[in-house]
Amino acid sequence: MTSYDPSFAREVFENVDYGEEIKMCMQCGVCAASCPLSMQMDYSPRKIFLLIRAGKREEVLSANSIMLCTSCYSCKVRCPRGIPVVDVMHGLANYALRLGFVPRRQTAIFGGEFWKQIYKLGRIDEKDLSRRYFFADGFMQGIRNTLEMADMGITMFLHRRMKLLPERPIKGIKSLRKMLDKAAQMGKGGAGAS
Amino acid sequence: MKYFLYWGCSLEASGANYLASLKPVFEKLGVDFEEIKDWNFCVASILYIGANDLAIKVLNARNLAIAEANGAYDIIAPCSSCYIQMVKVNHEIQEDPELAAKVNEALAEGGLQYKGGVKVRHVLDVLYHDISVEKIKQTVAKPLNGLKVAGYVGCQSVRPYGEYDSVERPITHDRIIEALGSEAVAFPKKMRCCGSGIFLTEMEYCFGLVKDILEDALNHGAQLVSTVCPMCAMNLEVYQPRINTALGTNFDVPIVYLTQLMAVAFGGDLKRDAALHYNIIPPETAMQAAIG
Repeated sequence: MTSYDPSFAREVFENVDYGEEIKMCMQCGVCAASCPLSMQMDYSPRKIFLLIRAGKREEVLSANSIMLCTSCYSCKVRCPRGIPVVDVMHGLANYALRLGFVPRRQTAIFGGEFWKQIYKLGRIDEKDLSRRYFFADGFMQGIRNTLEMADMGITMFLHRRMKLLPERPIKGIKSLRKMLDKAAQMGKGGAGAS
Repeated sequence: MKYFLYWGCSLEASGANYLASLKPVFEKLGVDFEEIKDWNFCVASILYIGANDLAIKVLNARNLAIAEANGAYDIIAPCSSCYIQMVKVNHEIQEDPELAAKVNEALAEGGLQYKGGVKVRHVLDVLYHDISVEKIKQTVAKPLNGLKVAGYVGCQSVRPYGEYDSVERPITHDRIIEALGSEAVAFPKKMRCCGSGIFLTEMEYCFGLVKDILEDALNHGAQLVSTVCPMCAMNLEVYQPRINTALGTNFDVPIVYLTQLMAVAFGGDLKRDAALHYNIIPPETAMQAAIG
């Protein structure tokens, strides 16, 4: 058996939002038992925490687990040590993507478009977001994706569940961007963190 | 009592039937509300992919700061994703002076400041604790007698703090369903997650979650499912045909917003007040016996 390597744990404490929270984990597994998607994960949340302590950097940062969190907060409300497991998973996903790991490609594309739209408009335009997501892999794939989901789009449109006019930027969009730029600089991991 | 209503992006699009029914219901109950001026998106639960945690907090703090500067009324968030983000960021800022200072340093770039003086409330919280079940009962004009409803609370509606209801066994949704004359069926999966914001991108994994929830509701006798979250409504209703194809099920379960049930029970017009025609799986048939 190899000995524990604390270097990755230290890296997580310093660079990952909520990363220092894993110090509290006692490996009880309540998070794993509570997670709706833990059966689909490479490693359950409990195992992710263990692997961080064991120094398994590649395994953790490329695990689908850190991007399959649905943010249901079941783990957070049940953790006997009060660890916000959800926030740790999100922090790990953000850090992994910043380093170039892509644990779940589709979700990464969707989330990336989400952020671009917030920065551009201050709000989300659901139909425009879907279009950008469908066309992320080029025009032809975009057409295929659109046709694949067309029935849903048409149904939503017919039932008035789609906003027809394009979303306009909020009035304070320029000042919002200044705030977000500042937050990106000041956040854990420094500039370029967002 | 006056409130800010922060309805968010979804309620203007895929959750339009929520907002369309919420407004007449609030009018009937005498809830006075206004919009937060020039509000921005709440970040939902997926923005961590593109933004660090401080940016997420700043986005929410901007809305809180505008609300604080314009009357500091309680903010009602009908969307559970907006609720969980805003309530969490608000608490963290209120409890951690160091974080509050950082957030305010970023807010100052846009000339804003947040002192922590606003409260964030879910629509269930306001209906149950401020308006009261009694008042809702008194407002009912057409009781939904005999209608069996699965009150699907969803995972985010009362979390992370359980400020107004239990995080494991909530009752507020069911008590309001009962106040309308309908029956709230026992329904163990009422807090189980539907897949939330990653449903579209992780469909193959999330189909099973919705299947479990719908099966549980039907097995307990529900004729329809009531929700208080636009993502729950989207995932439970709009994807049903796809789930049927993928998993060989045969679902055709109407999914309504609690406020749509309330609008109908308050004697409102099925279209103008309850926006039932926005629903893709028509709830009218299931409700026929009750509404005549």
